[in-house]
Order: sequence, then structure tokens, then C-alpha cells
Amino acid sequence: MIEPPLADERIGLFNFLPFMRLLVRLSLLLLLPLATNPPMRAADSLVRYEASHQAMGTVFTVAAYGSDSAYLEEVTHEVFQVIDQLDDQMSNYKPTSELSSINRDAAAHPVIVEPGLFKLLQDSLQYSRDSGGDFDITVGPLMKAWGFFRGQGRLPSKEELAEALKRIGYQHITLNPATRTISFDEPGIEIDLGAIAKGYAVDQAVQVLRDNGITQALVSSGTSSIYALGSPPGADGWKISVRDPLDVNKAVCVVKLRNLSLSVSGDYEKFFKINGKTYAHIMDPHTGMPVENMLSTVVVSPSATDSDALSTSFFVEGPGRAGKYLRRHPNLTAVFFLPAPSGHAFRRITLKSSVTDLPPSSLVTIDCQ
Amino acid sequence: MGNKRRVTRRDFVKAAAVAAVAGGAKPVLGAPAILSGPNPGSTVHYGFIGTGTEGCNLLRHLTTIPEGRCIATCDIYPPNLKKGVETIGSNPQTYTGSPFEYRKMLERKDLDAVLIATPLNLHAQMVIDSLNAGKHVFVEKTMYFKEEEGGLIQKAAQANPKQVLQIGLQRRSSILYNVAMQMVHKGALGKVMFVRAQWHRNNSWRRPVRDPKFERLINWRMYREYSGGLMAELASHQVDIANWAFGSEPISVMGTGGIDYWKDGREVCDNIEVIFEYPEGRKMLYSSILYNAHFQYNEQIMGDQGTLIITIGKGMYYREAAAKVTNGKAKENWWAGATVTEHAVQKGIPLFPDGTEGGKQGFLDRELLYAKRWLASMGIYEYEEPHDPYWSELSNFMASIRDGKPIACPMEIGMADARAVIYGNRAIDTGTRVFWPKKEA
Repeated sequence: MIEPPLADERIGLFNFLPFMRLLVRLSLLLLLPLATNPPMRAADSLVRYEASHQAMGTVFTVAAYGSDSAYLEEVTHEVFQVIDQLDDQMSNYKPTSELSSINRDAAAHPVIVEPGLFKLLQDSLQYSRDSGGDFDITVGPLMKAWGFFRGQGRLPSKEELAEALKRIGYQHITLNPATRTISFDEPGIEIDLGAIAKGYAVDQAVQVLRDNGITQALVSSGTSSIYALGSPPGADGWKISVRDPLDVNKAVCVVKLRNLSLSVSGDYEKFFKINGKTYAHIMDPHTGMPVENMLSTVVVSPSATDSDALSTSFFVEGPGRAGKYLRRHPNLTAVFFLPAPSGHAFRRITLKSSVTDLPPSSLVTIDCQ
Repeated sequence: MGNKRRVTRRDFVKAAAVAAVAGGAKPVLGAPAILSGPNPGSTVHYGFIGTGTEGCNLLRHLTTIPEGRCIATCDIYPPNLKKGVETIGSNPQTYTGSPFEYRKMLERKDLDAVLIATPLNLHAQMVIDSLNAGKHVFVEKTMYFKEEEGGLIQKAAQANPKQVLQIGLQRRSSILYNVAMQMVHKGALGKVMFVRAQWHRNNSWRRPVRDPKFERLINWRMYREYSGGLMAELASHQVDIANWAFGSEPISVMGTGGIDYWKDGREVCDNIEVIFEYPEGRKMLYSSILYNAHFQYNEQIMGDQGTLIITIGKGMYYREAAAKVTNGKAKENWWAGATVTEHAVQKGIPLFPDGTEGGKQGFLDRELLYAKRWLASMGIYEYEEPHDPYWSELSNFMASIRDGKPIACPMEIGMADARAVIYGNRAIDTGTRVFWPKKEA
């Protein structure tokens, strides 16, 4: 009855691509997680359970090892319930969500916020301050002006762009920790958590797994973020292939992870072409224009919330300014894929935090071609 | 039965200790609460009993309702107690250790209200004790477990008429559902004769349990000592919709069910199939299963002129293909081309726009949106569900206490719902058609 783990544990993210058209976020990636040659001996007493669930406009996948498949199923179901709750809370598509309520009312009066979301908003503003506004949760109006919300991409007029830019900027948001309230300083401000909520959901999912005693699992939010909890049987980490930014069928790096998360932002998932020019969905909040001169960024961090936000932030910043961030913040690894002058290949730059003090239970190795 | 139930759940269950979730004892009498009558502008101080999964879901919504403040929580299972305290974040005093510890909480004079989200078999005693202690009460559906408990709660409520007693059927607080019911009651569907509803899942409906001794405590829904199964936990929401649409309780119920797929030691059915009969031949056909999730959950309300398919967050209206009768002298005047009725008949019309209207960014669109919201804020016009119905029902509860707002889901609705659950389960258990008692004239 016990099925041994598959020799090649590709979690079929390619299969989820049809669902991706719903995806509205600032950072995207395509990951191919694989377990490392699981020896049959170690897996004999273990069962592997994998299930997927649609939420937040993407597909979340959990793959977990344990001794009891029924138990794994129950825990995974709990994980998906928690993710659904977060979707109901943080969606900017659902009018019933807490986020929609904030966007509706926070310009008129302070709105009280659930503690978990309040902390996430505080973190978001911190990312904005740390990046000088390169990461910004108020880019919603810009995404809409460019047609990335419920629609086809389009080139906005100068007037539309100027109008959208007026309503962008994290400085428009005030958080009051004493009352746990949020307010906007003018109407028309809109929060979009697309660049951080899925990472946060992955972290919450991992917490549910840990709380239920699961020590070997992988959680992914579609092609966005992934967390490697422990390692699969017989391996010292989860192997994750990162796609070539120019070729969907090619892996460009293989990352081995343990108790760490990885996120990728890429210009290849959501974009449109006008007059032969490609416009991708990651916006520079300062100019209101899609970021050019970056193909994709990969960030490894102990937290998926962190890696999700930073992969977008670094995509906008490029290795120069991102490097400054890495000097001040520990335990991060970032890989940048930049267009090469020839246009046929890319340049790769890998940067690490100046300080690394990860516990021995964590592991990251990056092997690129 | 698939082969995924590899582990012998039955053995696991056998090993499980009987959890200490028994009810029954003498009611306590506490001092009247501060807010026995409406007091606009005040803060409702409440205690929360049962901070498990559903309790924490409610607490999460309560964190954004400033009209109330949680000053106490109560749970006998330490991890849930901890989770509840973390979720609400207001540093409440905790009551734990014994199933009757909540009575100590009820003695507090600074407590205005109590919210109850415990296993079903505990509801009645906790509601009665709380009412008699002078507290306003919100209790999760199903309102009570055993038939005789309804009258006891009613008696306690009648003895404390100034206190709010609200039942947690959150669809009653949904604007979408209220609009749907206006359509039903104002004739948009014509003569409504039939409701079909289902709640289908494809999972065991069990919660993970690490230590077998907590099995019955955590998975209380699986055991008849505490639970009315799918009928009480899922169907209760939807039978209430049929009651609401038909404006009546059922008069009889027949049904079947069984433990046919998840043979894991559970005592409640993993599938129920039930027909409720209402006055004038109207009927509700209901199913809940745990081995296919394709149809998920919704209610389909059918009249001779239209159909509503509704669930939390989405409602669609479909017209019946209409026939028109006029006198025989009408002038024939036919036009060729697409008809508008095809859309209304086949594709349906959403009750509210699907999602926000954020895709449109023109000046007029934005102004129109603000105008709609302004009208909606005054209750003149409804065009969207502005909050999660869980949030709305809890906000309504606070408003009923503070401001004297009508109770969104009062006791009578909860009692009618509980009767349907109890008789529905009786019909399944006995294999007979169960009739509602004749009402006294």
C-alpha cells in the first residue's frame, strides 16, 4: 500500500500554467522543485502526500512526508483552509475582503485592522522605506492604468499615467499601532498586496505544518514563492530548478534549500507587446513605467514573505541598489538575470548578504550553468 | 472507499480517551451586566467560549469590530486557548481547566456579552447560563442539540427579554442573501416551489490530531455524543435558506444517509440525502457528501419564472423562457436578430457585479462608484457585499446590544433551523418520514 517516493519528484508546476492567467502580482517565477535522489531505504516507513489548491489567483501546492497519509491529508486540508482565509482577507478582487474595506474607507476615516494584516502592512511599509519606494503596495492604480487588473495590457496616455502616479506612494499610508488603524491621506489610494501576500501565505502554511509536527515538506504558491521545510528522505535539501528567463523549457540554476524560502520575479509571465515592444507587469513606482533591463530576480531568505517582497524590490532596483540592502540585512542571497548586450543571452550576478548567521538546520546551495 | 485510508483509523479512535466535554449542571446566577439595554457609543465587553477553529475564525473578524472588546476567553484545550488569545490580541483573561470554568467568567460584572462556539452538545446549557447571568448571547449554529433544549432556551430568553440572543447563521447578515430574498418575496422568480441545495466536499472532514487522547475533543463533529454531523454543521445553514425563501418551517422530512466511504470509526454519516416538505407542496431537496467536491455548496431557488443560484459571495439570477399571452388581434411584427433573453435564460444575470469595479478607471466610473457607495451607506441601494458575512453578523450583534438594532438572526429562526436539523437526522436514523408537531391554534 505504501508508495515509495518517486525517483524524480518534479512537482508539476508546468501543469498549473493554464491557471496562471488569473495571476495578478508584481513578481512571478517558474520553479521546478525536485527531491534529491531519495534512497528507497530511508523512504520505506514514509509516505509522501501531495495536493494542490487554487487561491489568490494561483495554485498552492503542498508536498509532505509522514507516516500516515490520512494525517497528512488532514493537515494539508488545514493548510488550504488557512490560505483561503488569507485570500478572503487580502484579496483586492473580492469586495467582502478586509483589504477592500480598507481601500474603500481608509481615506474617509481610520480603519481598524486585524493584527496579522496590520503586521504585514507594517512590514510592507518597512520594505518601502528600505528600498526608497522601489517596493510599494500602492501601485494598484498603476497596474490598472496599464491594464494588468482584469484586462488586457494597454499603453496608458501621459495624462492617465500622471493621474495614476498622483495616487501612488507608500507615504500616503499612515499606520497607528496604538489603535491598530490605517488611514490614507487622500482618496483614490489603493493597496495591492500582490507582491507580498502569497509569500506571507506560504509562511503561514509552513507554520500550520510545523504546528502539526510535519518536518519534511515543500510549500509553493504557484510560480511565485516556495518554502523548503526540512529535506526529503535521504537528501540534505529540496532541489529546486529555476527556469531560464528566456526559455521556459530550460533550467538555468538548481538551488538546494533546507528551511529557507525562495522567490522569483520574472518579466516573462505577464506582459504584452505593442509595436514590437514588450511591456512587463513589474512597475517602477517612481516612473510609472514597466521595469526594463531586468529579466528575473531570485531571492533566498528565511522567510517567504521576505523573499517574495524582495524579489520584486530587487527587480526594480537592480544589483546596484539591491547590493546596498544586502549589506544591511543578513541571511539573503539574490541572483539577478540581466539582458546581455547581444540580446540573445543574459548576464547573471549573484549577491549575498554581508552577514550570514543562519542556523545549521538551514542550507542553501546555488548551482548555475 | 479508496485506498488512501491506509492507517487504521478505527484503532486510533479506539485508543482515544473520552474527552471531558460533558455538559449538564445547575445554572448559575450572576449579576446583571452593565449593558442590559441599548447604550450607543459604549464598548461591549465580551467573553468568548470555545476558541477552536471556528471560534478563532470569529475572533479574527472581531479584531476589526471596535464596538466590542474581548476581555475573557474560555477553552478546555490548552492549544486552542493559546490560539484564541493570540488571535484576538486584546490580552483577555483566560478560563480553562474544567468544562464549567465558563461559569466563573459569567460571574464577572464587567462582562456584557458572551459568544459561544463550542461543540454542539454544550450550546444549550451555556446559552441558558449566560442569559440567566444577565449576558447578551451569540451562539453558533446549530442553536441546540436535543429537541427538549429549545424550550429551555426559550424560557431563559423570555425570562431575560432585554438581552440579545443571536444565532450564528451568517447568511442572515449577508446583503447578497437579503437582496436575493427580496427578489424571491417580491415575485421576481414567480411562484417558488422548489429549493435544491448541496454541500459537497472531497475530504475526510476530520481535523488532524497528534495525540489520540484528544481525538474526541478535536474531532467532536465525528461523534454522536456531541454532534449532529453534516446535518447540524452544514445543512443547517442551507435549510435556513429554504425556510427563509418559503417563509415557513417544513412540515415533514424523509431521508437517507450512511457511513459508506470514510469508514474510519466515525459515528456520523459521510453522506446525507434528504427531502424537506413545506406547506403547499413546496419542497427542498438536499445532499451533503464527503467524496466529491465538484458542485461545492450553493442553494438553487426555483420559481415558475426564474431561478436563483446563490452562495456566499455570488448570486446569479436566471429567467425562465417566457411565454406571452395577448389577444388574437395583435399585429404581427417580427424582427430578425439576436435576442436578449438568451443571456438571461442561459447565462444568467449576477445579483452584484463579480468582484470590484476596479477595472474601470474613467472619471465617470469612479464618480458612479462613489455615488453607489454613498447610497449604499444610507441603505438606499445595494450593489455589493461590503463585508464578509461573518463580520456582518458579529457587527450586527454588537449593534443590537449597543444601539438596539434589530437582531439579524433571532431565536425563532434558530429554533426553526434546529428543529429541521434534529428531525432531519431522525428521519435518516429511523428510515421513516418525520412530521413536525402540529402547531397549537
